[in-house]
Amino acid sequence: MSEIKGKVLKHDQQTRMMHWVHLICFIILGLTGIAFYWDINIISNIFGGPANASLVHRWTGVLFLTGPTIYILLNFERFSRFIDTISTFTKNDIAWLKTMGGYVPFIKVEHAPPQDKYNAGQKILGGLIIIGCLLIILTGFPMWLWRYTLPAAFLSMCYNIHFWTAIIMILLVGGHFFLAAIHPKSRVEFASMMMDGYVDAEITAHHNESWFNELQKVE
Amino acid sequence: MSTVIAEGVIHVTNDCKACDHCTSICPTGAISGMLGQKHHIDPRLCVNCGQCLINCPFGAISDASSVEMVRQALNDSTKIVVVQEAPAVRVALGEEFGLAPGTNVKNKMYAALRKLGFDRVYDTEFTADLTIMEEGTELIHRVFNALGVEGFESSGPLPQFTSCCPAWIKYAEDKYPHILPHISSAKSPQQMFGPVAKTYGAMKLNVDPEDMIVVSVMPCTAKKYECDRPEMIASGFKDVDYVITTRELAEMIKADGIDFLNLADEDADKFIGLSTGAATIFGATGGVMEAALRTAYEILSEEKLDKVEFEAVRGLAPVREATVEIPVKALGTKLPVHVCVVTGLKYVDSVIEDVLAGRSTYHFIEVMNCPGGCINGGGQPIRRDTY
Amino acid sequence: MSIFKEKEGFTRRQFLKGSAILAVTVVVTGVFAKFGVDIYKASDDYIAERVQGLYTLDESMAIRRSHNNPEIAQIYQEFLSPGGVNPVSEKAHHLLHTRYGKDIPALIEELEHHDEDHAA
Ligand code: HEM
Ligand code: SF4
Ligand code: SF4
Ligand code: SF4
Repeated sequence: MSEIKGKVLKHDQQTRMMHWVHLICFIILGLTGIAFYWDINIISNIFGGPANASLVHRWTGVLFLTGPTIYILLNFERFSRFIDTISTFTKNDIAWLKTMGGYVPFIKVEHAPPQDKYNAGQKILGGLIIIGCLLIILTGFPMWLWRYTLPAAFLSMCYNIHFWTAIIMILLVGGHFFLAAIHPKSRVEFASMMMDGYVDAEITAHHNESWFNELQKVE
Repeated sequence: MSTVIAEGVIHVTNDCKACDHCTSICPTGAISGMLGQKHHIDPRLCVNCGQCLINCPFGAISDASSVEMVRQALNDSTKIVVVQEAPAVRVALGEEFGLAPGTNVKNKMYAALRKLGFDRVYDTEFTADLTIMEEGTELIHRVFNALGVEGFESSGPLPQFTSCCPAWIKYAEDKYPHILPHISSAKSPQQMFGPVAKTYGAMKLNVDPEDMIVVSVMPCTAKKYECDRPEMIASGFKDVDYVITTRELAEMIKADGIDFLNLADEDADKFIGLSTGAATIFGATGGVMEAALRTAYEILSEEKLDKVEFEAVRGLAPVREATVEIPVKALGTKLPVHVCVVTGLKYVDSVIEDVLAGRSTYHFIEVMNCPGGCINGGGQPIRRDTY
Repeated sequence: MSIFKEKEGFTRRQFLKGSAILAVTVVVTGVFAKFGVDIYKASDDYIAERVQGLYTLDESMAIRRSHNNPEIAQIYQEFLSPGGVNPVSEKAHHLLHTRYGKDIPALIEELEHHDEDHAA
């Protein structure tokens, strides 16, 4: 592969804002939620006691829902491309999954199969996050708004789904954070989503070969 | 005046998940706590009905239990332990053994109680019939008094409220002391059974009432509180010693490994065990009313009813009213009797306000704390039906 | 130094997928709501079933009026109002009636001394 100089705009400004909002909401929701479940007063006291922590949890939940919703409505094209990307699995993705993208220490990979804008792992994560958010939102709001009218059987089911989805999501997001911010092989992407949106073109050409080949050179 | 028992029967345990569901269930506002905060019951306001208990999504509310004491009494050979069971128990106990709600297991229940070691198995329905005699007569006296018939001047005012539900009684005592003269002075069937068993029953059995232990099986947690009220000592002893719930009876049957579903049918014991259909329907909202109407109609009119069902007082609406024309033989006129049935303590306030303001035209008002009546009491099997 | 960007716009396939995911979200929400409504409707059915259980039992009983219960007649005749069936007799009043609220302390007082009164 020849030398590629320059930068790739991977995430535009609105995407990055949405990601920030969602992330901060998620941390607050996760912290307060875990505090409810295990009665951790140290956490709930940060938010002014359990009753206030619950208020914070619920209104942060509103933001957690509206942030992405507004983003999707304003950026439907980008959203559609994202959905297309994460829902398309090619031979290369399967091959990538078989070697776990070379992230697992004991599987040695010479040259990982060419990947899309998101590698197969990220695609799966994206799908799971969408399903998880949907479940957690669908259960969270009834637990709040219809807690008086809903029968006990339905409420306890909501609590169970809400809690277990939250736990799974926290683990997924934890892994996501590790790969994006700490793992030496992939942490170069961190700055892209969190700061200016750009990734080095050479790295992209290497990590996301299929996608890179479709990009337009603007300057 | 607030009633006497300080700590109450119903408590929120540490399992509370702060979901806040119970505050909407509680008819008295006794539960405090916001979403996210562990909840707490104020025993002064709580009427011990247990509705919060059967509706808590996380089973985080518990009731004080006397099962250990009952076990001890059953093991004590110097004691003669008798048991009464409320009407509502027999159509719900089967649910704990996989039967459909509403399945009548009365005769298996008698058999199971004997197997558990109770010396005599009677029936609260007997004293439900007795309640109709006493409370119905009291109502007739109040009506005659209101009509100016001589000889009934000492009778209380109209309308008359029923007195079977201890949750309702405590609520009235706590919140509406001025309504108390309107409540029938007749005790509830459970509390009639206690003194009857320890006097008449002891006499028939030829035992010393001191050696008698009266146990109730109730669909109700408020009955646990009722039997502990300090004035319930008419027999010279504590009238009803222990109350266990339908759930607790099922637990005892299971713990003893009794094969409930395959028990042979048995009958209740003699003298204070026989009952009528009128007593059976006490367990449903409107049942006390209907049973009273059956008896009042036939006694006042001296005629036999062709149809004993009074459909107008049946149903599950929280407040129902009806008018029944009773031809009163002694007066030679037709008396339109206006009745009202309230199920769910939440709905009683406006009915009471009307009575206190003199706007009420009712003669007789039945009040049951639990939605649907005692069949949905706080001691009944907990259901989580999803389809 | 060159800058690379994605092409704007979307293909038909991308548009369909984006719309489909929104549609699926709406459908899942609807199914979940329907599920909730069904549970809500079913959750109190047992009340009517237990009530019906009592009415059915009533219909199956030989005697259906309280005043026709022979043991009731017997307890009045032998014990509560000897010689007749007279509710609210003195004995019935003592055993079967109570008082409420502020009248309770006096009632307890009376009950505690009842035996002595009768002995005297
Ligand atoms: C999307 C909007 C959300 C809403 C409306 C919402 C609402 C709620 C409500 C009403 C409760 C009940 C407890 C209380 O408030 O005291 C709750 C509990 C909880 N939430 Fe959320 N929530 C949302 C999102 C999340 C997210 C994203 C997470 C995790 C990262 C989360 C984790 C939890 C946990 C762990 C509990 C405790 C569950 C339990 O006690 O079983 N929630 N949530
Ligand atoms: S319903 Fe149960 S879990 Fe929910 S707040 Fe009340 S006691 Fe706590
Ligand atoms: S037992 Fe009844 S009155 Fe007491 S807190 Fe529970 S629902 Fe309220
Ligand atoms: S309605 Fe029946 S079960 Fe409910 S509190 Fe009153 S007596 Fe108890």
